[in-house]
Amino acid sequence: MTKDDCYQVGHITKTHGVNGELVFFLDVDDAKEYADIDSILIEVKGQLTPYFIESISIVKGSRAIVALEDVETIEQAERFIGSGLWLPLANLEPIDDETRFYFHEIIGFRVLDAEKGPLGTVTAVYTMATQDLIAMDYAGHEVLIPINSDIVPSVNRAQNQINVVLPEGLLEIYTSDTGNDKPEVDGDEEADDTDED
Amino acid sequence: MARSLKKGPYIDFRLDNKVQAQNQSGKKSVIKTWSRRSMISPDFVGHTFAVHNGNKFIPVYVTENMVGHKLGEFAPTRNFRGHVAKKDKGKR
Repeated sequence: MTKDDCYQVGHITKTHGVNGELVFFLDVDDAKEYADIDSILIEVKGQLTPYFIESISIVKGSRAIVALEDVETIEQAERFIGSGLWLPLANLEPIDDETRFYFHEIIGFRVLDAEKGPLGTVTAVYTMATQDLIAMDYAGHEVLIPINSDIVPSVNRAQNQINVVLPEGLLEIYTSDTGNDKPEVDGDEEADDTDED
Repeated sequence: MARSLKKGPYIDFRLDNKVQAQNQSGKKSVIKTWSRRSMISPDFVGHTFAVHNGNKFIPVYVTENMVGHKLGEFAPTRNFRGHVAKKDKGKR
């Protein structure tokens, strides 16, 4: 099974105790949904290797203490520290709600603006600690769109498109040739009346 | 050391003027800014800022829980691509 068929749910942070238990950090909305999984794919040297789970208990919201089969000593467990945790995409429950979507499923979707119509296609979704962004290919430029219910109100899965309400001027920032040129003055100083601060 | 309360939060005055002007007109277009040090005030909520990260502009849609933070916090300047494998480290 390759990474293309899977999604990352988190990573292993450290060992727990001396009997080979591990602490999983689950980077998901609700870790309790994963309290009954019986196997997990662990990324070892770039390869995804399946492991059966003997026991799992969710602690502190996004962390879980997990005992894997055939991992019974702390020495065996230590080699997994920092490894990524993956699950097959087929395990994900389908979402019927148009206002919610998985990030991986919108890759390749067309972007339809409420005013400007079809714009481009989604090439990637960047997840950051502070906000998530959709990367759209628009006329050869990469345009970043913040994921927010006001800007991305709905997804049309039947037509492989996402509906957006782009704020005025967002496309121009990425398409104008002089967009990255910093004005000569810094923020504190008086500048001529331009659109840039 | 924290900024003195007497001074109030730092917000670039031209950026603040732009937001005030948009709030008065009811218009909400993207505001391009290099002023990463400006603090997000409650007036900024609902606006979209294009914050420069040194390379390109990162759009930041301001929500209520961002108030009090700096704009630069939402436009990271570095891309973490992971560490090199241990075996490749320190070889001469």
